[in-house]
Amino acid sequence: MTLKAIFEPGSVAIIGASSTPDKWGNILLKNLLSNGFKGHVYPVNPKEKTILGTVCYPSVLDIPDPVDMALIAVPRSHALLVAKECGIKGVQGIIMVTAGFSETGDKGREPEKKLMEIIDRYDMRLVGPNTLGVVNAHIGMNASIISRLPEPGGISFITQSGTLGLALVDWTMEMGIGLHIVVSTGNKSNIDDVDLLTYLASDPKTDVIAMYVEGINRGREFIKVAKEISKPILVVKSGRTRSGSKAVFSHTGSMAGADEVYSAAFKQAGIIRVDNIENLFDSALALSVQPAPYGNRVGILSNGGGASIIASDACERMGLIIPALQDYTRQKIREYIPEYASARNPIDSAGLATYDVYNGIVKQMLLDPNIDALIVIYVDAVVNDAALPAQAIVDIHRGKCNKPIIACWMGGTGTRAGVDILEKGGLPNYPVPERAVIALKSLVQHNGFLEKVKV
Amino acid sequence: MSLTTDQLCDILREYGIPFVQKITATSLQEAIEAANTLHYPVVMKISSPDISHKTDVGGIILNLNSDEEIKKAYLTMMDSVKKNARKARIDGVIIQKMAKSGLEVIVGVKLDPQFGHVIMFGLGGIFVEVYKDVSFRVTPIDRETARDMILEIKASSILQGARGREPADIDAIINVITGLSHMLRKNPDIIELDINPLIVYSHGVAAVDARMLTL
Repeated sequence: MTLKAIFEPGSVAIIGASSTPDKWGNILLKNLLSNGFKGHVYPVNPKEKTILGTVCYPSVLDIPDPVDMALIAVPRSHALLVAKECGIKGVQGIIMVTAGFSETGDKGREPEKKLMEIIDRYDMRLVGPNTLGVVNAHIGMNASIISRLPEPGGISFITQSGTLGLALVDWTMEMGIGLHIVVSTGNKSNIDDVDLLTYLASDPKTDVIAMYVEGINRGREFIKVAKEISKPILVVKSGRTRSGSKAVFSHTGSMAGADEVYSAAFKQAGIIRVDNIENLFDSALALSVQPAPYGNRVGILSNGGGASIIASDACERMGLIIPALQDYTRQKIREYIPEYASARNPIDSAGLATYDVYNGIVKQMLLDPNIDALIVIYVDAVVNDAALPAQAIVDIHRGKCNKPIIACWMGGTGTRAGVDILEKGGLPNYPVPERAVIALKSLVQHNGFLEKVKV
Repeated sequence: MSLTTDQLCDILREYGIPFVQKITATSLQEAIEAANTLHYPVVMKISSPDISHKTDVGGIILNLNSDEEIKKAYLTMMDSVKKNARKARIDGVIIQKMAKSGLEVIVGVKLDPQFGHVIMFGLGGIFVEVYKDVSFRVTPIDRETARDMILEIKASSILQGARGREPADIDAIINVITGLSHMLRKNPDIIELDINPLIVYSHGVAAVDARMLTL
């Protein structure tokens, strides 16, 4: 069975729906009803007639229509019975928010095993247990306890930590990053990373897959599946610190900590591993709106020398090259800058940040065969208007040219008008050069994987 | 279970990993004969299933050049091992041809609970022990992946011939890694394995010592 019933259901039963504000069964129902989800929503609670103005059913079996997906938030003691009723009803997918299973240790293992037996017997699929839910921003489905529905976009996010995932979704909204599917995996006892990658790979609205991972269960299958996915996959894997290994027999045994092995596995799977959450979404943003460049040679334009030097330094540290431009390009660029300014890469326009200067120079740099990608920096100053250089690069039609442009508009609120233009124009923007460079590095890495790893 | 070096050498040789020639001797007389068969200079190593760190117990003596030196080394080694590893079973000594000096690297294996067998590569000595400059790949490993992991270590310029050295035979290291990868497919019960050192020359490699732990 596909996971469509969970991520794009036509009808949802919410079992354990509650009329008491602040109870999970209430928050979940409110979230499902209030974000424009077009599917049918059926609250289930034997003690209520209606909740939040919606007719409530004593059990899932009493719902007169077919139910694709059940969102379950009942106490653990009821969870197995409710799951079985879902099976009898013909529900295809379950999101089990209810906790108290294997994550609690030995005492929770037996009930989780029984839950899985029910799931298998009725040929259902299940997210969780112990999940904080699932979001599909494009269909307005918030089957989670996330307080706001994220902006719809091309990034799908798989998170093993529920609470961290929720905090991040809130943060992406502030960053202006659009999401598609958000799934908190919980205990991964039925649907795991391999299933989710497979589903998102063929999901047309997912352009980039971002993951927060604590551990992977089916390691070899994970590598195999990820290798076959050409969409960019980014991962933050926690637990980088070396766990004290036990009695050591060999050098290899002492060196091959879990983290080193994960790093190797990600490389072989063509998955971009980043260091932290900020890098994860910075990179995901760039990968969702810009093409992967054919190489690692970067052209930099800035209206201030300091910022361009910081950007060049960061490029060098991360293995990106700042090549010399062709003579012809340099001649052309000289037409736009004062005589005393330098037409060498990185280009410093000596303070000029007009439409014509940015438009003209960026066009010339894109045409230069020595350049694979561009970082365009604007440092705000009272004499300039941040919107003009932004419009200047958004207006450039790149056609089939596979050279990404990464923007870095520095200077806080003064740059707002420019940043809005960049965002609307599909140019990823970062407030400091280092973040722009890390995002570009991920684009370069993805191209490397497309050439060498992906099958 | 841990195999004796002898048994392990035979297994690795089957997969094209060249070991420096050696003979196990169960007496002083056999040791002298072995040294003459292999031609001097030779190395003497203790052969015991119970001793994993031979150096620590005086179980390795290098660069022996005559029957007289073999005799002296044999007595010294038996004495020292008996003192330092009282309970160890001793099968005898291994006489191994002294390998030409070259660049020492280490190639190893570990069974990871999530991903199965992984292979490690690094330069020997302080590079692995102090700098921890090693790379890993999950098996199976093809030639291209093996080359990537070899060139991935920070000190890879040493392999490519930094400071006037002749470049090391990277293809020969690739053969060792891919050979190990094949071997692991047929031997799923290996938990850990070190080939250390593997000496790399400008043409070819020679494995000098190896240890393995199986289920």
